[in-house]
Amino acid sequence: MPILNSVYRHREAGHVLTDLAAYRAAGGFAAIEQSIGEMEPDDLLYVFHRSGLRGRGGAGFPMGRKASFLPKDAKLAKYVVCNADESEPGTFKDREIIEMNPFQLIEGMVLAGYAIGADRGYIYIRGEYEHQARVLDAALIAAREAGFLGDKILRSDFSYDITLYRGAGAYICGEETGLLESLEGKRGQPRLKPPFPAVAGLYSSPTLINNVETLSALPPIVTQGADWYAALGPEKSPGTKIFSISGHVVRPGNYEVVLGETTLRELIYEHAGGLREGRQVKAVWVGGSSVPVLGAAHLDTPLDYESLNAAGTFLGSGGCIVMDDSGCIVRATLRLASFYRHESCGKCTPCREGTNWMERILQRMVDGDGRMEDLELLESLFGRISGKVLCALADGAVAPVASAIKMFREDFVAAVTNGGTPRPAPMPVVEVR
Amino acid sequence: MADYAPVDRAADNMVTFELNGRTVSAPAGTILADAAYAAGVEIPIFCYEPRLGPPIGACRMCLVEIEGMRGMQTACSTPVTQDMVVRTNSPAAKDAQDGVLELLLAQHPLDCPVCDKGGECPLQDRTFKFGPGKSRFIEPKRHFPKPIELSSRIALDRERCISCFRCVRFSQDVAQDGQLTMQERGARSEITTFTGDAYEARFSGNITDICPVGALTSIPYRFVARPWDITNTPSVCGSCPVGCNTELTTRDGELKRITGRDTPNFAVEEGWLCDKGRWGYDVAMSPSRLTTPIVREAVGDRSVSIEDGVAAAASLLTGRRVGILLGGTATLEEAGIALDLAANGTLANAVLARLGVASGNCAPLRAVTGAQLGDIDAADLVVIVGGDPAAQQPIVELRVRKARRFGARVISCGARPHALESLGEFTRTAPGRLGDAIAGLGDAIAQASRPVILWDEADLASDPGAIEALSGLLAASPHATQLMLGADVNGAGLSALGVPTTGLYEAIAADEIDALMCVHADPLEAAGSVAWQTALDGFGGSVIAIATYASTMTERADLVLPALAMWEQEGTLVSMTNRAQRLRPGAAGPAQAAAGWEILIAIAHHLGHPPAYRTAASAFGHTVASHPAFRGVTPDLIGTDGAVVGAWPTADTHPAAIVADADHLVLVATRDAFGDDMTARSHALRTAVSAPVLRMHPATAQALWLNDHDRAVLVSDAGNSTALSVRCDTRVAEGVIVGPLGAPGHPIEGALARNQHQALVRVERA
Amino acid sequence: MGLIADDAWEAVDEGWCTSVNADQVRAHIDPIRHEYAEARSLILPALKFAQTEKGHLTREDLEAVGEATGFSAAYVESVASFYDRLYLAPTGTRVVSVCVTLSCMLRGADEVWDHLCEREGVSHHGGTSEDGRITIQEAQCLGYCDRAPCLQVDAEETKGPFTPASAGAFVDALRAAPDPHEFWR
Repeated sequence: MPILNSVYRHREAGHVLTDLAAYRAAGGFAAIEQSIGEMEPDDLLYVFHRSGLRGRGGAGFPMGRKASFLPKDAKLAKYVVCNADESEPGTFKDREIIEMNPFQLIEGMVLAGYAIGADRGYIYIRGEYEHQARVLDAALIAAREAGFLGDKILRSDFSYDITLYRGAGAYICGEETGLLESLEGKRGQPRLKPPFPAVAGLYSSPTLINNVETLSALPPIVTQGADWYAALGPEKSPGTKIFSISGHVVRPGNYEVVLGETTLRELIYEHAGGLREGRQVKAVWVGGSSVPVLGAAHLDTPLDYESLNAAGTFLGSGGCIVMDDSGCIVRATLRLASFYRHESCGKCTPCREGTNWMERILQRMVDGDGRMEDLELLESLFGRISGKVLCALADGAVAPVASAIKMFREDFVAAVTNGGTPRPAPMPVVEVR
Repeated sequence: MADYAPVDRAADNMVTFELNGRTVSAPAGTILADAAYAAGVEIPIFCYEPRLGPPIGACRMCLVEIEGMRGMQTACSTPVTQDMVVRTNSPAAKDAQDGVLELLLAQHPLDCPVCDKGGECPLQDRTFKFGPGKSRFIEPKRHFPKPIELSSRIALDRERCISCFRCVRFSQDVAQDGQLTMQERGARSEITTFTGDAYEARFSGNITDICPVGALTSIPYRFVARPWDITNTPSVCGSCPVGCNTELTTRDGELKRITGRDTPNFAVEEGWLCDKGRWGYDVAMSPSRLTTPIVREAVGDRSVSIEDGVAAAASLLTGRRVGILLGGTATLEEAGIALDLAANGTLANAVLARLGVASGNCAPLRAVTGAQLGDIDAADLVVIVGGDPAAQQPIVELRVRKARRFGARVISCGARPHALESLGEFTRTAPGRLGDAIAGLGDAIAQASRPVILWDEADLASDPGAIEALSGLLAASPHATQLMLGADVNGAGLSALGVPTTGLYEAIAADEIDALMCVHADPLEAAGSVAWQTALDGFGGSVIAIATYASTMTERADLVLPALAMWEQEGTLVSMTNRAQRLRPGAAGPAQAAAGWEILIAIAHHLGHPPAYRTAASAFGHTVASHPAFRGVTPDLIGTDGAVVGAWPTADTHPAAIVADADHLVLVATRDAFGDDMTARSHALRTAVSAPVLRMHPATAQALWLNDHDRAVLVSDAGNSTALSVRCDTRVAEGVIVGPLGAPGHPIEGALARNQHQALVRVERA
Repeated sequence: MGLIADDAWEAVDEGWCTSVNADQVRAHIDPIRHEYAEARSLILPALKFAQTEKGHLTREDLEAVGEATGFSAAYVESVASFYDRLYLAPTGTRVVSVCVTLSCMLRGADEVWDHLCEREGVSHHGGTSEDGRITIQEAQCLGYCDRAPCLQVDAEETKGPFTPASAGAFVDALRAAPDPHEFWR
């Protein structure tokens, strides 16, 4: 793991920190000691706000501002919920944090809980991450034993504990209100917003819900200062981001970079070892798959929220999937369309019917039954789905399809005229399990 | 069916906003979809149904443009604000509407020619108004086995389902039966019950009303009629004292279907019906239906025409000392005409009485401000004193569950367990001790802002101590309203007219009557049946039965005149909330049958005293409207929504209190709406029938040497019951036996005294 | 729900496995009741617990969960059917999830899938082997794109990268290994 001025203590230390003593030795829990009972919760909130930290789950909403939406009424039950449902294709950064540095997440949740006056925190972890959940189980027990969770933490008035809740396999439970529904024991189907979770979230109580990477950034923000964090990277995109990169690259993995200081090209070629000999970048889905696809022309885009927006896409989850020119964009797009159709919760019409329809059309194109009018049909469907739905899943489904057709139209036309597309050979694995 | 909520255009807090370029107004906070509809602009919807609770914004059909708000908003979840600018017909809005319909229709089967919903289908209607003309979907549509029997009464066609969630929300949130759910995810989602189970629930039929497509349809109505073949008539249900407002669907003079009203009556049933009110009408076509007058002679029974039957009745009544017994379903017109004929000399000095609970001593409770069922919605405290509303007045259950959903506290007290107890706190009382529990309610009522107190007429009629306690409590709580859980369908109406429950039996027993006419009344199947049997065994006079269905009484009668069923006639009933409502005919009925009121008028003609009235309306005007309770009330005023009538005068003697003692148990009778003759005779309701059982606490059973499922007979001073099966239930108070009133075969009525639904009994093994 | 074709279930023998009862479910969820403001939240942990008994959920399991949590069996079934890793029909002893999302596809997941399906004698939709030991199912992104193409056995740590041959060998070893005592899917 390349070590830079890392926000994540396991990277800074260069080794796994699943042992509480090791985490302490690496500077862990100092933030809790500095703030619980020592700072006013509102002041702590201000530190979060001043850092400029933006949500790292995909939406990029300023974390401090989101936390400020919760009402201050002390009589209301309030909750912190950590979204550990990581299921965005190409994304595996939260997995690393939980596996290697669970205490930083726990510490971040305690800080967030203290800042908003929460009664309890919940970590909602995807069911497939059972291995990681057990790491967290053990870490929570250790944190409790050491007095960082439970009654009157550090002899203050603040009592707070964390419940680990396991999902059971549904991408839509990574959508904040879908997650809350699932945590409430219902089908994980998103809710109408407003009301927003900050006002009526878990059990209709004010809830702060944030991603693993976001909450884990809070301890160093407290110990090293909001200004330190805000100074990393551009003004509107401060801090670091762990980019997960995979696909046709030599060294797939997680790479933490300071936002704005690394281009997509550098991420691919310097961090991830580049492509195979003789291969060129064909398509890059840079923020997980729910974002417009980029092409070779965009490789010099700096990796930060604003620059990626200007390039026509989103930073999203930072799960970067690279496809080189050996791949088939039509098949890749179909594969993503299948993903969204499988994961659609079915509650709202445009997503339930639209993701299904898009997949069918693309399947015909791949199989050789595509028609030229299918392209116009798809283009007319995009507007009828995107922006019309209850949550962002369908927007995320449309983004890669619409952008692929726009950027690589000739490939789709070829699929129609050539009677389908052959399955390309995959990039072979280097070390085999 | 209701789709949009009504909007009060005359409220205080109106806001004005712009709708498609027009300035319109609505009370602040009104949902935009409702405000637009009230202003004449239809914003298409599917999943929105205000009666199901807060909007869910699932179907996306109602997306509109609102200036200043990013993207498009769902009109079902947006309240109107001052100066809001809304566009529902802009190119963007139209494209959104077209788009949602195109996506819904993509997987929707082309079933219209064979689908019962066709012609009254919101999906069809909205597609015509807002949707695309052609389909661009060339993929194979998804298939399910179809139709399947969701229950014996409801067909489910999953291919037609548009996943609006209305049925699921009705089952989970309104009826709270927990049976209907959505399974799977995404495009594979399907409506279902716990796999393999039927949807057996008392309000299941409402999902066929609210389903906006032909996915949920009525099996009895399958392929029976098309909307353009039928006429719809607003009427009311006469199966229980609630009086839900209904809509009768008629084709070619036959009643084909009953549904809730398109415009719900929020004061009564809110547009819902119980399955009995919805589907029980087929009893009118069952073998037990009387179709011609029957003259009983020594040589045998003879069918005659209705004219001859009426003439025969007149000859049996001429010059006799007549007694007229009215059943609980007799209409105001029938009672009014009978009273008139007695008073004006046609049937000189006729003695009138009615079958029903003698609840005259409940008058002090009725004097307190009465609530309509709709008032339960806004209650913050609902108290249920005695009774079993879920069984006896079904729709009340939906109202109380709704109040609970909105945060009301629910407190119950009584001798028998009932479904609504689990909604809050309850106190089990011994019969005769209900007053103690009532006394304990003082604090709760004082703390509430809008308490509504539901009290069971039959239970309190046997418990003067409870009446005293409750009327004292109501007197001390001017902010509380009361609502009677009535025992008899038109009990409130008949007692308002002053028809007593006593007097006639005594006159028969004293040989003062030599002709008895029963109008929709069967004393041989009612409480006190043994006493009536004895009296009629010794009765030497003629018995005339005006009835709709064969019964023990029609077998005993010397002359049977077939009356029209409640769906076939005009008439007025007063509900248990003092609401006068009109029955309207939705079918012609047998050719040789006539409405009870018509028969009485015809008899009067044959007796040489033609009355001044010839129609139900004029009979009402002449005979009913003059009573103090109905002053100012006319059929027009009652209209289709009903009218609340005035205070109810006392007309009854007071029965003694029923209190358990060492030698006796107390029989508490419950009239289970789904355990009576009507349900048993209805083919459509065959899977909804409750079995008649005697419920008692296991300790009570043990002391009687009885086990679960043993058979037992009840013995009381009034007589014996027939044998019934025993069920042990820990929730029943010790010393109490809960038995079924009105069950087919009328097993327990023999053990009850006349006009009482409780009795002291001993139990013997059968 | 798993993505298993109906005909695959015929291969599985229910055998001696029993369902859980409400008391067993209660014993599992009572200790954690205080962590949730509403009892409904207990449905999902209860379902996962009930499933550990034999790797899938029967009618009796759903009724037991309903009884223990205070909800109807229909509601519990509705919740269970929403999730990929709750199985309402029998599976093989071990469930092998093959990630088929984009990153894994680019590194050969489709070839691994085809090979495993052929070896196990199931259709290209996946299914359960005739000996009832192995169920092959498609999975959506498992979050191990750095080890693409990856496989997950039940809820164990996902492994990778695999080639068709190494995946075959892996499944062989799995087949020969002793059964787990509990089935975490």
